[in-house]
Amino acid sequence: MSTVQTKETVIALLGQPNSGKSTLFNGLTGLRQHVGNWPGKTVEQKEGYFTRGGVKYTVADLPGTYSLSANSDEEIITRDYIAGGKADVVVILADASQLERSLFMLADFAGIETTAVLLLNLMDVAQEQGKIVDAQVLEKKLGIPVVPFSATDVKHYDGFYTALDRALSERKTLRTDALAERYRKLEGFTQLEAMMPTQGMGDYAPLWLAAKVMEGDAPVTARVEELLAKEDRAKFRQLACAVKDGALHTGQCKFDWIDSLLDRAVSGKKRFEGLSKFDRLATSKRWGKPLAVAIILLGLIASFIPAAPFMIVGSMLPSLLTPGLTAGLTAIGAPQFVIGLICDVGVNALYFAISMIGFVFGITLVFGFIEEIGYMARISYVFDNTMAKLGLQGKAIMPFLVSFGCTIGGAAGTRVIDNWGQRILTIALAWAVPCAATWAIVPMISSVFFGVWAPLVIVGIFLVALLHMWLTSKVFGRQLVKEEDRTGIIMELPPYHRPKWGNLLRYVFGRTKDVLIRALKVILLISLIFWLLSYSSDGDVTASVIYKIGAAIEPVTRIFGLSWQTFLAFISSAVSKEAALGVLSSLYAGTGTIFASTVGAAGQAANLGEILVANISPAEALAFIFAVTFNIPCVVAVASTYNETHSAKWTVRIAIYYICVALLMSFVVYHVAALFL
Amino acid sequence: MKKLSEAKNGETGVISAICGDTRFLSRVTSIGLTIGCPVTVLQNERKRPILIFSRDSMIALDRGECDNIQMGGDKT
Repeated sequence: MSTVQTKETVIALLGQPNSGKSTLFNGLTGLRQHVGNWPGKTVEQKEGYFTRGGVKYTVADLPGTYSLSANSDEEIITRDYIAGGKADVVVILADASQLERSLFMLADFAGIETTAVLLLNLMDVAQEQGKIVDAQVLEKKLGIPVVPFSATDVKHYDGFYTALDRALSERKTLRTDALAERYRKLEGFTQLEAMMPTQGMGDYAPLWLAAKVMEGDAPVTARVEELLAKEDRAKFRQLACAVKDGALHTGQCKFDWIDSLLDRAVSGKKRFEGLSKFDRLATSKRWGKPLAVAIILLGLIASFIPAAPFMIVGSMLPSLLTPGLTAGLTAIGAPQFVIGLICDVGVNALYFAISMIGFVFGITLVFGFIEEIGYMARISYVFDNTMAKLGLQGKAIMPFLVSFGCTIGGAAGTRVIDNWGQRILTIALAWAVPCAATWAIVPMISSVFFGVWAPLVIVGIFLVALLHMWLTSKVFGRQLVKEEDRTGIIMELPPYHRPKWGNLLRYVFGRTKDVLIRALKVILLISLIFWLLSYSSDGDVTASVIYKIGAAIEPVTRIFGLSWQTFLAFISSAVSKEAALGVLSSLYAGTGTIFASTVGAAGQAANLGEILVANISPAEALAFIFAVTFNIPCVVAVASTYNETHSAKWTVRIAIYYICVALLMSFVVYHVAALFL
Repeated sequence: MKKLSEAKNGETGVISAICGDTRFLSRVTSIGLTIGCPVTVLQNERKRPILIFSRDSMIALDRGECDNIQMGGDKT
């Protein structure tokens, strides 16, 4: 087998945020994607594949950053990937409607000798603005293929493929002479350039290295110094230290070079400079936040429209499938255990998963829409100060608000957060937001136990939720969001544009399918464990493993203020929050098995309130309310979390943390309440 | 010359100085702000990031960081 012919071609996508990189990535690879993490880093790694003319292409979607400096892990990973020889060709994306600024990535790339193509994306938006961009003029100046493009228009990728073929056969690199000329006018640049390794370093040419040393780039400076002969190091250090504000000077060179590139290449109107009427409202100090909250809540409601059919179908599954399956399996003589396994665990897991994807579908569509039209950046802007206190981007407000409805959607909504560490932290905090299911149980228990004082319990829950979020941001924040990433906002607010529905729907469908399969696995696994623990051949709870464990550790659960019954209900509420009442009913009034009560398949005792008051002390009830509210939201939220973080380690870590905090809260509430109640 | 954070809504000028550590310089440069670059202040409200228009783009900048950017003169 010839290794040359079977070697797949690797394309790396490089571009600033809002350059349409992800759209191109999705357009090229469709559903053939793999998302993971860069080894040992909290940075997401996205790879996809496509085949064309019998050749397999791997597409690496590099993290979206504004430059190739060493300001973050994302930037270092990006540049080392490109210069490390892993990519056969780098596709650099620029926003054709804002070339003046967005060509900075190209300028920062200049001096890396990897085969490259420049893609002038969003040409349609540029045209709408009345700009005319001449790709030919740019190509002549740059020496690499330059393609006018619109990533949303999947049917017309031909120009891109042609340019790709040309780049791969001609292997041209970016012309840098005009930029080099500008750099060399800077004081000290030529001396520094002369000290760089003559062969460069990987694909980094001496020009690029010298510019980075001028900019005070610590990793590059250290590497260069290592490679120098001992006697040259002192001189190098002296030269490097003599540079003041190097990044400003090289930056000026870069933008000056960009201006010279655009001369005669871009004509037509300049963009209007003021705030549009809508933007004046969207960014206003008084109305910005209420508008954002209203739009998100409207979005939440709107997301139920596409979600409802899935949820209805899902909820019909148990009643549709279970009787038939049970009869069929009994007829072929399957043991009771197997029937229970398939009907209870299998059918219910499917029900959960289908209901979940309906919601994930709706949220992804609505949030994708808000992002696509450009409004998301405004939300980030108005909530920047508030969310920065938790170490998060302003966008994090969206998942939090959605979590009041359902944590599953909240977790799925964190997809809009482009930083992986911040995304996990957002999910970890979103779990503490009381979801709708909380309100199906808390008011009932509070009112039977505390009567007119019940609203106080609810106020208490809100206060504790805020405290919990703040505490959780401290516990996980340090590890997930590095100190150097907690700098103030410096962000572009992209111009609004019309949504491309086809493109959006393709993305949403692709993601939903992916979610279904992965979620089903998680839900099946947890349901199976829970079912096995609660299984008893005759339906009597005292024969189940979970009872034996619960009864055996009751002296321990008592410390947390919970009896074995309330403790079992607490454990079940991690599978489904609504289960808390059903399981208590099952244990105190014998209505159905624990598992059936948990998945909502069993009824509740009519006089449950009286039964609870007779069996549970007020202090225990209050402890139970807090324990259940701040427990793991539900098994499906766990699955959704795993989907977004694609990290079993972090999903388990957050889950264990929540159980521990819930029990701790139960302990404190019980012992404090016992003094007064 | 004045701090960018002290500029009024709608004020136009050029950036005359940017101070700060390497990281900050490299971040503001990469979003398009360099010395001599024309800017228009779109919105400057207390306790809010400042909104400016520069190099064909609308940019949000943290208030604290804007203290390190000086603006001066009129656009020529």
